[in-house]
Amino acid sequence: MAPTTLPPLDQVDPVEAWQPWEPSAKDPWNLQWAGHLYRRAAFGASPAEMNEAAARGLPATLDQLIKGTPDADNIDQMLVTVGAQAADRSNPFELRAWWLYAMLNSGRPVQEKMVLFWHNHFATSINKVQRTTWMFNQNRLLRKYALGKFGPFLHDMSRDVAMIVWLDNNSNLKAHPNENYAREVMELFSLGVGHYTEKDIREAARAFTGWHTNGGEYDFNARFHDDGEKTVLGQTGAWNGDEVLDILLKRSDCAEFLTRKLYRYFVSEQHDPPAKLIAPLAEAFRKTDYDIADLVRRILSSKHFFSAYAYRQKIKCPVEYVLGAVKTIYDQKSAPEGKPPPTLPLVSRLEVMGQQLFAPPNVKGWPGGQSWLNTSTVLARVNFAQALVMGTLWSDTSRGETPNDVSFQPPGIPGQPDVKTPEEPPPEEYEDTARLIRQAKATKADEVVRVLIDALLPGGVSDSARTKLTTFVADGKPTGDKLDRRTREAAHAILSMPEYQLA
Amino acid sequence: MLSRRQFLTRSLKGASLLTLSSVVPQFIAKTALAAEPGKDSILVVVELNGGNDGLNTVIPYADDLYPKFRDTLRQTKDQIVKVDDHIGLNSGMRSFDRLLQRGELAVVQGVGYPNPERSHFESMDTWQSADPTRKINTGWLGRSVNELHSTTGGIPIMHVGPNRLPLALTGGAGGAISINNQVPYRLEMGGGAPDRQKARRKLLEDLAQPGDDTASLADFVYRREVQTLTTLDRLQEVLKGTNTGQFPGFGPDGRPYGANALPQKLQLIAQLIQKGFGTRIFYVMRDGFDTHSDQVQQHKNLLAEVADGVTTFFETLRQSGHDKQVRLMTFSEFGRRVQENASKGTDHGAASCLFVAGPGVKGGAVGAHPRLDDLDAGDLKFHTDFRRVYATLLDHWLGCDSQSVLSGKFEPIDAIKG
Repeated sequence: MAPTTLPPLDQVDPVEAWQPWEPSAKDPWNLQWAGHLYRRAAFGASPAEMNEAAARGLPATLDQLIKGTPDADNIDQMLVTVGAQAADRSNPFELRAWWLYAMLNSGRPVQEKMVLFWHNHFATSINKVQRTTWMFNQNRLLRKYALGKFGPFLHDMSRDVAMIVWLDNNSNLKAHPNENYAREVMELFSLGVGHYTEKDIREAARAFTGWHTNGGEYDFNARFHDDGEKTVLGQTGAWNGDEVLDILLKRSDCAEFLTRKLYRYFVSEQHDPPAKLIAPLAEAFRKTDYDIADLVRRILSSKHFFSAYAYRQKIKCPVEYVLGAVKTIYDQKSAPEGKPPPTLPLVSRLEVMGQQLFAPPNVKGWPGGQSWLNTSTVLARVNFAQALVMGTLWSDTSRGETPNDVSFQPPGIPGQPDVKTPEEPPPEEYEDTARLIRQAKATKADEVVRVLIDALLPGGVSDSARTKLTTFVADGKPTGDKLDRRTREAAHAILSMPEYQLA
Repeated sequence: MLSRRQFLTRSLKGASLLTLSSVVPQFIAKTALAAEPGKDSILVVVELNGGNDGLNTVIPYADDLYPKFRDTLRQTKDQIVKVDDHIGLNSGMRSFDRLLQRGELAVVQGVGYPNPERSHFESMDTWQSADPTRKINTGWLGRSVNELHSTTGGIPIMHVGPNRLPLALTGGAGGAISINNQVPYRLEMGGGAPDRQKARRKLLEDLAQPGDDTASLADFVYRREVQTLTTLDRLQEVLKGTNTGQFPGFGPDGRPYGANALPQKLQLIAQLIQKGFGTRIFYVMRDGFDTHSDQVQQHKNLLAEVADGVTTFFETLRQSGHDKQVRLMTFSEFGRRVQENASKGTDHGAASCLFVAGPGVKGGAVGAHPRLDDLDAGDLKFHTDFRRVYATLLDHWLGCDSQSVLSGKFEPIDAIKG
């Protein structure tokens, strides 16, 4: 499936593209496609989940990813309780750790994946909002509607306390309208730039005057509301905020804008799809009254999604990179008392990679795509991989504190091996990559490499990369503890490979 | 003809890139446009993020209107650092007196652009793209890399800090590199014998191989990884034996400057310059200038950090004779309103001031302070388009054609030409 052999996207038949994919003998449902689905629809999968999915088939796997496991309700309840406690302690690092915990342990993987999508869509930062409880409440709203209907979602979001504070709507007064929310709700939340005028923004801003907060609650302040006549997108009336939102939701631009964004999130950020490819999805989205679950299911079950147009056509965001690697290497089932991986050590790692949850850089969200990778963030990924495979990630308790406390460490002599340092002691069994080769009883170099590739890069790597890895593992014919160590070193290299950075 | 493998091995060892230009991937060939150590000019850009209050940075202390607008924020003639008979600097910028005495600090006043944006993002993007119409989505410094003349191999443009790459640095061939000074720029390989470490490092390089399809996403990632490993090697080479101790200074609150403070970042840049790293454009950012309330102490501390950082930076470079090679400019996305608000702070405004420092500038005030009795809806009026500052530095300092970078001709400012 070399991408060069593919015809350009405008030659793709839009109707055919979104038909459900039927695996065939020539293109069967296997580990490669299961891995693809889990990278996009979830935050990766453990080796056991991968094998289960490959055995169970696509329809049942997708069903469970979307509808959730039987205990999903209980897990949701528990997550909300724990999250509320974290928020009450007013520590944003704990709140971030809570969310990562939810991503790893949710009973509804697709919903959880969509919560991150919506966080980036309605991008709100604690750096201005300040209150963890308000950010948590917004996160609960994202959960409520992650796979719900976009209409009521947009209405509720316009009353969200964190959002109102974030976009200054408390200073949106009849006498002095503040256009911030009106602008972003059109530009970034519903229609996209170019589908409205500056005058539409000014008029819409008047409709949102008096939409304020009071003591952490939404509070309509009639005294400051402008109930005069406004003209928004050609429609004239004494509109209030809700009526303006309904005007936006009636525009066909809205469904197309959101569908495009979801295409970028789930399918590919390499090429902008032509309008005719988006059209069937956008039309269905409108016809279902913006049923997000329906749209997401159409995308994730389609021929186009299971094609070279999508395969490895995205760069993993830091959260996907980190959680995917953790899911493969940390085995919760064999951990003492089934202890899930601690997530606080991941928070500062993610920050160095450029993704601090609850703190997107601005209201446009993280730009994503190639901007995730610069020299500094690539290095952060490679160094994270080292800490994960050697097990030092989990013992490093200093991580996860506020980065302001990290003292300045100059580059010194980068890359210079410290000859005095002995090898790290082997990690615990449940944290150890070498567990995978012991379970598979792999002892020869090529078997070791196959086990690692199947677990980390299902779908494979080039023959030359496989040969290099095999030569590396075989060098000096290590056995026993030495082979285990070599396995971890090879896993570090795989986690650092260009292919592993792709979702 | 070298094989790719041989090329990588050689280039990663820091072999002369230009001699390999027929086989070097385009991005490396293009990035081989950098300063000849000790000769080429270097520009350092300091972003003050949040909208710096220009009126309390460069203070028209002799103007009777000033204390009227700034009832609680005002500084008196006795507090300010005097520049001339009309203006002085905020008392936090005491260390700038040392640069003023040497005539190495130009205070450029009344800088802005027509129809100013009051949104942080829009206005910051305007400054960074150098396009008030917001049609260009690359950065002025990134674009200038394509125009910089070439003498030796190296990394032409570098961002120092934990934030994502600023827009200003995008759009150049090969991209800019980022060094996060809060974490060591070091490949962490843990413990183990040196030969094992070497084998692991070699495997990383071997696996970062180009594919057949240079337009593919995997190829982009490959290039980034090679760039990262190459940078590691060059940094290792350059900083070998360098005394990279903590910056010794203390802030006005008596505490040592933290890792994210400007003095630390500028000190790292000074070391890179002294060691001949070859980078021609450095970029650092300091945020916190969005002072809507209780501004006095916050603002003074921030300005002290700027002045201490910049002054010590040049003093460090002067000791090694590198100061004449370096020019530094500050900027912020906008100034703040002339009238202070009800929360002892200031709201988003328009025109403001900026500093250009280094041997060769004509020190002191450049242009008149914007009039306080002739405001534009409560904001200072600009008289100097910010692109004139850029054009002067591009044409007369970096030696690259400002017209092609800025898509237009802007009159140079004599005081910062030299």
